[in-house]
Amino acid sequence: MSGPEAALAGGVFGAEAAVDDDLVELRQLVEDIGRRAAADRVGRSRRPQQFDGDLWRNLEETGLARLTSTVDMGAGLPELAVVLHGLARHAGAVPVAETDLLAAWLGGQAALSLPGDGPLTVAVADATLRDGRISGTAHEVPWARAAAAIMVLATTPDGVYAGTIGATDCEIADGQNLAGEPSDRVVFDLPVDRFRPVDADFSTELVRRGAWARCVQVVGALDAAAESTVAHCRERVQFGRSLSKFQSVQHSLAGMAGEIERGRAAVTLAVAAAADHGFASSQADYAVTVAKVVLGRVTASTTTVAHQLHGAIGVSIEHPLWLSTMRARSWIGEFGSTGHYARRLGRLALATENPFDCLTGQRAGEALTIG
Amino acid sequence: MSLETAEASSWFSVACADEPELAKLRESIRDFLRADREQYQWRPSVDCWLSAWDEEFSGRLGAAGFLGLTIPEEYGGGGKGHLHRYVVTEELLAGGAPVAAHWIADRQVAPTLLAYGSPEQRDRLLPKIAAGRFYSAIGMSEHGAGSDLAAVQTKATKTDGGWVLNGTKVWTSGAHRAHQIVVLARTSAPDPERRHAGFSQFLVSREADGVTISPIEMMSGEHHFNEVILDDVFVPDADLLGEIGNGWHQVTAELSFERSGPERILTTFPLIAAAIRALATASDLDDATAADAGHVLAHLISLRQMSISVARALTAGESAENKAALVKELGTRFEQDSVELVEELLDDVPGWRTSHPELAAMLDQSRLHKPLFTLRGGTNEVLRGLVARGMGLR
Repeated sequence: MSGPEAALAGGVFGAEAAVDDDLVELRQLVEDIGRRAAADRVGRSRRPQQFDGDLWRNLEETGLARLTSTVDMGAGLPELAVVLHGLARHAGAVPVAETDLLAAWLGGQAALSLPGDGPLTVAVADATLRDGRISGTAHEVPWARAAAAIMVLATTPDGVYAGTIGATDCEIADGQNLAGEPSDRVVFDLPVDRFRPVDADFSTELVRRGAWARCVQVVGALDAAAESTVAHCRERVQFGRSLSKFQSVQHSLAGMAGEIERGRAAVTLAVAAAADHGFASSQADYAVTVAKVVLGRVTASTTTVAHQLHGAIGVSIEHPLWLSTMRARSWIGEFGSTGHYARRLGRLALATENPFDCLTGQRAGEALTIG
Repeated sequence: MSLETAEASSWFSVACADEPELAKLRESIRDFLRADREQYQWRPSVDCWLSAWDEEFSGRLGAAGFLGLTIPEEYGGGGKGHLHRYVVTEELLAGGAPVAAHWIADRQVAPTLLAYGSPEQRDRLLPKIAAGRFYSAIGMSEHGAGSDLAAVQTKATKTDGGWVLNGTKVWTSGAHRAHQIVVLARTSAPDPERRHAGFSQFLVSREADGVTISPIEMMSGEHHFNEVILDDVFVPDADLLGEIGNGWHQVTAELSFERSGPERILTTFPLIAAAIRALATASDLDDATAADAGHVLAHLISLRQMSISVARALTAGESAENKAALVKELGTRFEQDSVELVEELLDDVPGWRTSHPELAAMLDQSRLHKPLFTLRGGTNEVLRGLVARGMGLR
């Protein structure tokens, strides 16, 4: 195993594959940090979830909070995938993807000033430019209330603008996603000189980056749900034996594990595509599209099985299961719906002379420009 | 260029089995198939690896160097890696090519001969397999031994210069046309403590005295399966395959390759491709249909990525038994589901059964074959049990 394949290593068959890959130390570090954060949180899971300041400090001290946007870290997307996957497995309540892959990238592209530390997020808004002011509303902005700064990408009829704003520059209305993670509304009305005009393609790439990160995170969340389900079925005794001794339960668990492996395979391709060719590439477009469609189905079926096999305890706020199942359900719906991506992939197949080319990556080079 | 070098340069093309060398091979098998189909007018079919028996096609494929790809060159093979064979197999299945005649010899018998065959057996059989001129069946299942293969009762008894076989095999595909049948038989009495001990494999000529082959006709009316009765069949020592008592290990050792191969995903691909082409010509395709097509494609791509990742792991000598079992379980279930999905997709093309008769024929053929997809080579129930064991549940 190397590179992207190792980036998402884990799951219930993790031990089957070789672990002596070049990401093993990083994976162990993330695992240690993530597990400690989860241990500190035991019995304190509440809605909405609070930003985990201790975890964030740990990530900043180890350089993991801004792994790819800090040049001297020398880290790439496989490394970031290890971090996102590992933190998602432990339901870390921190916006690493938003900070490193979205906000810091956008800030760098648009030459905006960014705070050197603290969590960041991105607000994508439809906006208007009138009388020298840009005003707009961004919905479902992850972790806006906890962010040291918010990078705004405002699409107006007169062009796309990017700017850095702080809590005092906007109104933040608290909201939350299914997992209780902050998902806020950001309303702003600021002088145009607080923004810079940027390439309209930035918003396409931003969405792709977000979708990519969420797919990686979803695999982490589903791995956690599967581990929890296996452990629960081993421990829970009914009719005089462990649930895991019932053949119907074994087959449900095997089916769940299979679906997650299918998801991991698709996301691994997306990690490879982005690592090789960058997010602006058609390969990344193709592979992220595939991953979103695959995980859309996989998330629905596997979270259902996880809850079924946990029994009623799985819906209790005290039990950690919902932290992973509801994260997965929320995340897979962000940065474009499953249906949206399925339509794009379907239209690609319908426009390809030999549909098998849609499987081999050969048409990835011209992929999806039609959709 | 070697695959090793490619690995460092492009993860994406490696993940897609699309490194330059493999991409070139894919183009050349496609060129071959296009030209061959035009010249010989065969029709793409679903489940072609069971049903489309065409000895002349197999011979042409062998002559063009696309068979026995993993057989060393000294035996007339391609001397290439497993991924080369993977790419060629994919294209043959996706194109619905008539591969049934050589299928078992190329997929199972050649690797087994390379691993366990005697030098004389290799010299005798491998060049003919690579040439697409030698066909084999495999006699495993019996009336009382389906999923529970260890219940096999066919017996081989030692005699002067060889063995005498007695028993009855069923579901032996292609036995009525193959040159030989590889028979799994007991060479020592069953031991309830060690159920998998005491089996051996024998190469039995279809023409041997005492071999009676009768058809087990499918509900489609097709004849692929057979009952093979072995009545005091003499097999010379030279045709014992591998070691006495090692039969179980020999038939299970390579199972991960077999379980995770493209034939567990692509059996219905000619149908899917034809349906997509029919849809593409229909006007005003709605979003829901496009999304349905997208889901089918995405499902296939994810299974293929799993399958390739298993192939790479096995090639690298890593264990991937659980994932291989999962590919077969998920892949064959997809193959089954794909038949219904295709019919739903085609709902958008009014009168398609009349306007696309070849597609209607493929759909019907798929319906008649699809119960087999999740049965052959180990049922999905058995596979899920295997996976559950791998997860430490039993």
